[in-house]
Amino acid sequence: MGLVQREIEAAGFSTISLSMMPELTASVGSPRIAAIEHPFGLTMGLPGDATCQLEVLRGTLRALQEISQPGSVVNLPFEWKSSDRLKMYPPEPPPIVKYLRRHPWYFPKFLKRTPPKVHEALPRPRQ
Amino acid sequence: MKHWISLGASREIPWTPLSKPLSRCTVALLSSAAAALKTDQPFDQDIERQDPWFSDPSYRILPRAASAGEVRVCHLHINPCFAEEDLNCVIPIGRLNELEALGEVGRSAPSHYSYMGYTLRPEALLAHTVPDIIRHLRQEQVDAVVLVPV
Repeated sequence: MGLVQREIEAAGFSTISLSMMPELTASVGSPRIAAIEHPFGLTMGLPGDATCQLEVLRGTLRALQEISQPGSVVNLPFEWKSSDRLKMYPPEPPPIVKYLRRHPWYFPKFLKRTPPKVHEALPRPRQ
Repeated sequence: MKHWISLGASREIPWTPLSKPLSRCTVALLSSAAAALKTDQPFDQDIERQDPWFSDPSYRILPRAASAGEVRVCHLHINPCFAEEDLNCVIPIGRLNELEALGEVGRSAPSHYSYMGYTLRPEALLAHTVPDIIRHLRQEQVDAVVLVPV
């Protein structure tokens, strides 16, 4: 998201990115970050929780106005209540998870986010 | 060998200051949830299933009146049921319209945008999709963009 944000900011728009992984977003040079400790897939809050969603958006827009130093991170004051027991996982494991189970030697490349060349990376037919 | 985190840290950060009060700004939302109107072409999940380092690099427009029942979420790393029940979980279109009605934001843009997040090969996204989105933002005289990951 930070890479996309940089392009839009460079094109002349003021941008802010929410982020559940602010260190990662900041590491690519994001101009403004609003960090939030919400689960993946529920960035703004639970379905139907309009109050939370509105306050997250307000906090993000406030940070957009207040940040004056490029690359700054504002931590939004929201805590996820552990009592919200939800089925967070996707219906099927993400393809990269299945792939790394079968190709564990690519795990360092995954951690460094340096994908192998296309011809190396495509799944091979089973023997 | 350097990896991209250390390379990125030394880059210059682009900067466009907010040119006017938010109450006079047009604001657009950009979500990486791979959300598409059901009447639109869905994102191609099989691209990522075949090459897990890459995903469909296209984007879709979500009009400012879009609501949850009209949208399909195709991101393969989240449970899409929450966003399909209430789009505002990941793309706060309804909440932004409320801030417009309250006068806290000048205008919610006519269009908001979504692409398929999670790719370790962002070249096509950055070379084609993002410039297209930027053209739309200019046409609709957007001032500020809020990016919402999932």
